[in-house]
Amino acid sequence: MSNFIKVVALLFVYTTSSFAQDVKFGKVSKEELSEKIYKKDSTADAAVLYRKIKVFFSYRENNGFVIEREVHERIKIYNNGGFKYATVIENLYDRGGSRESIYNLKAYTFNLVGNEIEKTKLKSSDTFTEESSKYYTKEKFTMPNLKEGSVIEYKYTVNSPFYSSFNEIILQYDIPILEQEINVAIPEYFTFKNITKGYLAYNIEKSSKPGSITFTDKNRTSAGGGIGGGAIKTNFTTSKLDYNINISKVHMVNVPSLKKELYVNSMNNYRSAIKYELQYVKFPNSSLENYSSSWEDVVKKIYKNEEFGNQLNFKKYYKSDLEKVVLGKASEKEKTNAVYSYVQSRMNWNGINGYYTDEGVKKAYDLKVGNVADINLMLVSMLRSAGLNANPVLVSTRSNGVPLFPTRYGFNYVVALVKIEGKNIFLDATSKYSKPNMLPVRALNWAGRIVKEGGLSASISLMPDYTSSENIMMLASISNTGDAEGKVRRVCKDYIAYNFRAINSDLSEEDYLEKLEENYNGIEISEYSIKNKEKVGKPILESFSFNAEDATEIIGDKMYLSPLFWLSQTENPFKKENREYPIDYGYPWEDTYSITIKIPKGYKIESVPESCNIVIGDDIGQYILLIAKTSDGLQIKSELKVNQAIIFATHYKGLKDFYNAMVEKQTEKVVLSKI
Amino acid sequence: MRFFLFTLLFLYSIFSFSQYFEYQSHLIDDNLKKNADAVVRLDEMVVDVSAQDYMVLKSKRVVTVLNKKGRKHVHAYGGYSNSRKLKFIKAVIYDAFGNELKKIREKDFIDVSAVSGGTLYSDYRIKYLKYTPTQYPYTVIFEKEIQTKNTAFIPSWYFMDGFMSSVEKNRFLINYSSSDLKPVIKEKNLESLNVKIKNNENSISYSVANIPAVRYENLGPPSNELAPKIMVRLNDFHYEGYNAHVENWEQLGSWMYNNILKGRDELPESVKQHVNELVKDADTNLEKAKIVYEYMQSVTRYISVQVGIGGIQPILASQVDRVKYGDCKGLSNYTHSLLDAVGVESYYVHVEAGRDKVDFDEEFPSLEQGNHAILAIPNGDDYTWIDCTSQTHPFGFVGDFTDDRMVLVMKPEGGVIVRTPVYIEETNSQKIEGKIELLSNGTLKAKAIIETTGIKYDNRFNIENEDKEEVLEHYQNQWSTINNLVLKDYKFSNNKSEVKFLEEVSISAENFSKPSGGRILFCANILNRNNFVPKRYRSRKMPFKISRGFLDIDSYKIKIPDGYTVESLPNKKEISSEFGDYVAEVVMLEDGSLKYEHRFLLKSGNYPKEKYNDYRNFRKEVSKSDNAQVVLIKKE
Repeated sequence: MSNFIKVVALLFVYTTSSFAQDVKFGKVSKEELSEKIYKKDSTADAAVLYRKIKVFFSYRENNGFVIEREVHERIKIYNNGGFKYATVIENLYDRGGSRESIYNLKAYTFNLVGNEIEKTKLKSSDTFTEESSKYYTKEKFTMPNLKEGSVIEYKYTVNSPFYSSFNEIILQYDIPILEQEINVAIPEYFTFKNITKGYLAYNIEKSSKPGSITFTDKNRTSAGGGIGGGAIKTNFTTSKLDYNINISKVHMVNVPSLKKELYVNSMNNYRSAIKYELQYVKFPNSSLENYSSSWEDVVKKIYKNEEFGNQLNFKKYYKSDLEKVVLGKASEKEKTNAVYSYVQSRMNWNGINGYYTDEGVKKAYDLKVGNVADINLMLVSMLRSAGLNANPVLVSTRSNGVPLFPTRYGFNYVVALVKIEGKNIFLDATSKYSKPNMLPVRALNWAGRIVKEGGLSASISLMPDYTSSENIMMLASISNTGDAEGKVRRVCKDYIAYNFRAINSDLSEEDYLEKLEENYNGIEISEYSIKNKEKVGKPILESFSFNAEDATEIIGDKMYLSPLFWLSQTENPFKKENREYPIDYGYPWEDTYSITIKIPKGYKIESVPESCNIVIGDDIGQYILLIAKTSDGLQIKSELKVNQAIIFATHYKGLKDFYNAMVEKQTEKVVLSKI
Repeated sequence: MRFFLFTLLFLYSIFSFSQYFEYQSHLIDDNLKKNADAVVRLDEMVVDVSAQDYMVLKSKRVVTVLNKKGRKHVHAYGGYSNSRKLKFIKAVIYDAFGNELKKIREKDFIDVSAVSGGTLYSDYRIKYLKYTPTQYPYTVIFEKEIQTKNTAFIPSWYFMDGFMSSVEKNRFLINYSSSDLKPVIKEKNLESLNVKIKNNENSISYSVANIPAVRYENLGPPSNELAPKIMVRLNDFHYEGYNAHVENWEQLGSWMYNNILKGRDELPESVKQHVNELVKDADTNLEKAKIVYEYMQSVTRYISVQVGIGGIQPILASQVDRVKYGDCKGLSNYTHSLLDAVGVESYYVHVEAGRDKVDFDEEFPSLEQGNHAILAIPNGDDYTWIDCTSQTHPFGFVGDFTDDRMVLVMKPEGGVIVRTPVYIEETNSQKIEGKIELLSNGTLKAKAIIETTGIKYDNRFNIENEDKEEVLEHYQNQWSTINNLVLKDYKFSNNKSEVKFLEEVSISAENFSKPSGGRILFCANILNRNNFVPKRYRSRKMPFKISRGFLDIDSYKIKIPDGYTVESLPNKKEISSEFGDYVAEVVMLEDGSLKYEHRFLLKSGNYPKEKYNDYRNFRKEVSKSDNAQVVLIKKE
């Protein structure tokens, strides 16, 4: 119930059903210019006072429909931190002879000089075109005569022939927006689905209006008739086509800025926007061209593509190699592991995502390099050829956002799935450090879509159901000068081992130890050994001896020590009062330490911190600290568990308090006193 | 003649065939693999100067990449612009046995605009190799040729590679077509290497072999103090349509002044009137300059646009005046023009900016030195320095971006090399006075007055422009060990004329020192713990440098909770060492509260590697004392 009220309240805050005031370009007021801070958010360095985006289709006789986006923005710059918002960059796409372009640019800077408004025009010589890569050019300009207090205003139109990939309209900036109007007008021939993204609520008002196209047809006829007779004559005939235009409007006021937070995989996932995805095109007298409308359609469309479904059918290129790989492997599990390791070690990911192949599986196999689809579709095909029940799974990476609605752009990645004895095993051979049933962190994003033969599909959870752990066992004895020495054994499993390998695999032992010593408050490490460093998939086992100078503090006849030594967490990473977005750890994890301390002769235990058991609600996490006295010292167990990969912001306060309590506990001291 | 050509071709084919084996990975000496992520098998540069305005740079770099981290040492890219033509660029990749894996032709290099942060537009572009390795080790043979008329910039040549990369062979050769084009070469830090130098008629060459990889070590001196290199210049050079004859800095400064800078300082009459109006009540030149500088700061911002000759020539002052933005050159020249309008002399200055202090070589006048422009205003026998790219720095204060280094001051009568201001230890100070109260429930309440000067000022004064949330974050990071920190109140005052920044801050924190077992423990140095301890190296190879020393003085009065009494206080600690001086003491006052006094002076200096452990121990001792605990016990 309370959530419902919140949503309603949000709607009232950000959208108004009334029509917007008509803001004329160039009519900047003295009030706007003399304003010192943005009233709704005094921390804003700049604010958009007014923004209007108009998207519409124009018919060009030679090119057919093109999509146009008219941008009008008026921005107030409060201080020099806001200067960066006076630079505008439009990325324009250019492919296959078709290119996007920008035209009708008008831009002014307004300043209040005394009591007069001074207007400075952006000259065309102050705009720049940069060919940033093969497919993109950047149009750039920055406003002239900019000062703290300036208001800038610009207007331009972007023309694009790529109407099927007309993608999203951003509704939220890193600075607040006082008022904005979005107006999208689409001819009835195009059916787009719109998908709302982000945390802001708003209404989309729908209406329609008539439109028409006038065609001019050219007919060339021979006037005289007969062979060799007369001149050729051109006739012009015109015809008119009436159609309906569907309009959607969004009017928002007081849109807050998007503020950065810790442990968020990509802030853009939370930026409010309306996404548009073309579902089908239907022109008069021609058949319907389907793009996507349901998950089934989306997947079918992807499956039908040459660079997806077909790639699964090529088998010859790996046939003889595969025979060797699975030779003598009896169980399905053994076969899966063998095929996976083979592809993982043979193939090298070129860093490019995608569910369509880049080189194509055959060429990629030969080159030993490919994009995600090259590698993982090849893997699926090989697993199938080895007799396994394997299918591709479409995934949206964490940086691509969560696909809540059926869209082709919602996915950007593909992994493999095998079913063995009713159990789902995910496989991704693009990472050199992952193992069966462990997707690289980039692919851990809620749910994917399994694609079966023929293009049938179903949703499937991607999140790991097991806990990755770091386990430390320490034996420490304290000398009567307050130093500690002893032995440590550390075991890292699953994702913790994955991260370890990803970060440390190319470091020399000397470099690694120096880094470890630094992380561990400058202890000195000797007799170091590591097992399974190269055996990807196996836990990392490390052991070493240590010598920690000044591990305790001697004051008078007492000795004070932290029961977890350098392993104590002394700072709460969550310092902010509130949080709006989920905390994203990627996978469930736990840290367990078991420490045996031998105290020096001549000392006795005077006091120890009380044991504790702290939890975060809803089984999100738990911290246990147990301290027991032994005949010559202490036995300590510390266990921190986070059971959920993603913790919603509603639990932020709980998580913050939890960490506070844990930090307090871990910084409490054991007191020893001289006998 | 025919015969001659034939032999050449023949030799060439043998050479290219032998290459196949030459770069097999197993041929690498073990000594070169130690600490190496990559081995540079050959790094070769051939410079052909055939005219004052025609130069070709041919380079070949062969790198065997041993592991993933070694990929960054391949350096397969070529920058180009209108005046710097990339005649060809190519790469071939071989496996460990010398088998060819892939050929990369010019069109397969990725061509992008070379725009870095802060630059809106540049016509400089770059072509680079994107390659996904399929195995390690692998070897890349990369070749490129650049042709330019700008002989003013002959790049310095380095004999060692970056950290973690060893060198098998390194060669530099410069050919010149006539004696008046004979280059002047300055050798730097070559002592440690066995460099073979050959002076022939019309050519000079340097070569060196087998240099093991060097590991990166913290606190090492900047590369310019260690890296073996040669700097190369021509007495008669060309730059974008201008010829020059330069044998000393005086001539270089004068050439710059008369060709590149002159005539770029014209301003509209209205602007001149406006600044004259601003300074009409000022008496001295410095007062006028200060007013003009602050005016310039308030109306301009830093935006860099690099087109054509833009490398060393500022855009016109009138253009900056119209758009009110520019890069370091444009803004310096604009400020110079404004100063000129009010009758104050100022000189355009080239400097190598950055936190590392890099000097201009007094004996080697070349345009290749320097990456930033500032202004020098004559002030008696000395100069007042201003950086026109900052909107916030006080007049005459340049901070750690351009402090303490030799720079080129360009006067109408010629250039001079001068040192910029040095901020020595005592001038980089931070003083904290604290009034602190601990409550029996563990809550901390503190009021602190923080005063900073010099480089410490430079590091802090920008918080005055930050909003409340950023200020809170700033203090939460500064006092990160105080969990639950709440900012009650703060006030800043920035005394620009004395370069002093004052912060008055009130904070509180729950559960700061919670009683446990009848005792309260807390660290006496609540507000300024120096916890930095340099990393331990099993065998330190490099000398180290403390480039900027500082002085911290802290004085806190701490009221302890009612119902508690002191069980023990840390002993007074005094350390005096060649690296600095340290004193910390806690005493109990008559009213039962505590007084903490702390003084830490860190000296700047260069030290041999043998002293590294001593320095580490010094910082360990400081850190230990800064963390010393006070123990309170509940009264019976």
